[in-house]
Amino acid sequence: MTGNPDNIPDSRHRYAEALVPLLAFGTTLAGIMLWQAGVRFEVQYAAAGGFFASCLLACIAWLRPRKDIVSLSTPIYGFLFLATPIDYAGGITLQLLYAIGLTALVIRLHYRFAPGIPGGSSGLDLPEPLKTYVGSIQDAFTGLGPAPGHSAAEAFFWFSGGEYRKAAEVSHAAVSRDGTFGPMARAFRILCQHADLLDKNLPRPKTFLTFLPDDAALLARPLPAAGDPDREFEVQLDNALLLLYSAAWHVSPADRPSLLALQGFAGKLLEA
Amino acid sequence: MKIGNTEVKISFISIGVFVFFTLFLIIASLYNPVVQSNLIWMIPALFLLLIIPVGLNYLSRSQYKDLEPEYERVAKTVRVKLINENMVGKIVRINGVVERVHFQFLNRPQYSVADRSGAISVKMFTSPDEDIRVNDIVEVLGQVIRRYIVTGEPVINCVVIRKSPRQP
Repeated sequence: MTGNPDNIPDSRHRYAEALVPLLAFGTTLAGIMLWQAGVRFEVQYAAAGGFFASCLLACIAWLRPRKDIVSLSTPIYGFLFLATPIDYAGGITLQLLYAIGLTALVIRLHYRFAPGIPGGSSGLDLPEPLKTYVGSIQDAFTGLGPAPGHSAAEAFFWFSGGEYRKAAEVSHAAVSRDGTFGPMARAFRILCQHADLLDKNLPRPKTFLTFLPDDAALLARPLPAAGDPDREFEVQLDNALLLLYSAAWHVSPADRPSLLALQGFAGKLLEA
Repeated sequence: MKIGNTEVKISFISIGVFVFFTLFLIIASLYNPVVQSNLIWMIPALFLLLIIPVGLNYLSRSQYKDLEPEYERVAKTVRVKLINENMVGKIVRINGVVERVHFQFLNRPQYSVADRSGAISVKMFTSPDEDIRVNDIVEVLGQVIRRYIVTGEPVINCVVIRKSPRQP
């Protein structure tokens, strides 16, 4: 489902979703009919469909990009209904209520946890406004080899994961390497400085690395007014991270799956 | 109340449960002779409703105290904005202002702590050393976790929260 480029729900998933109420109600209704026909058996076993339906629901929920903990936990209750002996009237009532519950959950899963919901992503493309920013500076990376792009992805990945020492090392190595153009080299240097400070738990230095005024067109966030060095220091880091994210996106397509997984963090950096 | 070096707090909910069952027992014993004859074990059982939460709070508080030096050593000071899903499991320190406090009556307080870059939920599974209120400037040490263990946005599983004179 996450790999569907056009956001069209995968038909297999739709069939699986439809199977949940069919299974849950089906075996209970079959149980009622068998009892009416005079076939006597432990009515708890009519909950088998509910159990399998809840397992199916949990599988569908697990495959979604956003996990629904309620759907994921339903097999526990399904198993309890299947394993616990109960009288006919009570058992059938519980099973029908459980089937209604599973149906409500699968509908909720379909609408609230589907990929492509507002603010989400199709799984192959970036959400707005990150997409607009990344797209707007595409030309700046023309002719750049894949190596700096991969380093940018690595630096972003380690930094976002709180591995500041590794982020500093990767950034330092990338600056030393040929083929990194001016603003990108500055982004690596800024990231290296911040990662080093974070790793050593050091406060903001009095003087710190910044982008040049000529780089303004490539930066995601405008610098704050003078007189607020703390804010300026933070915005420099956000801009450096976003520039490296964009570079990695355009220059190193092999890293896009990792970058997509970090789109939430990149989107947060873009917010003022 | 202090047990050893550990400050132990009992939640309002535990006190409420104790008071409710005490009143219930008093009324029942006045009208029901069967209850009167069983008071010998019912009264100790009633006090267990207080003793067990106190014991559990002592255990969790002393565990958190043991973790504190390790967290002090390992934690990285970060802005709230830098905390993301990829940092799950990392030990962090944040400085910020308490915007909201929930569930203090359960001894499981949950704070919303904000700095200049954003706000984050800080969950604590025991009572803090200090009484933390809205608008207090605090330092938080904790581990980044997901809100619902396997899913949900990143939150901080707080081990230490203390008032700080430092501006966030």
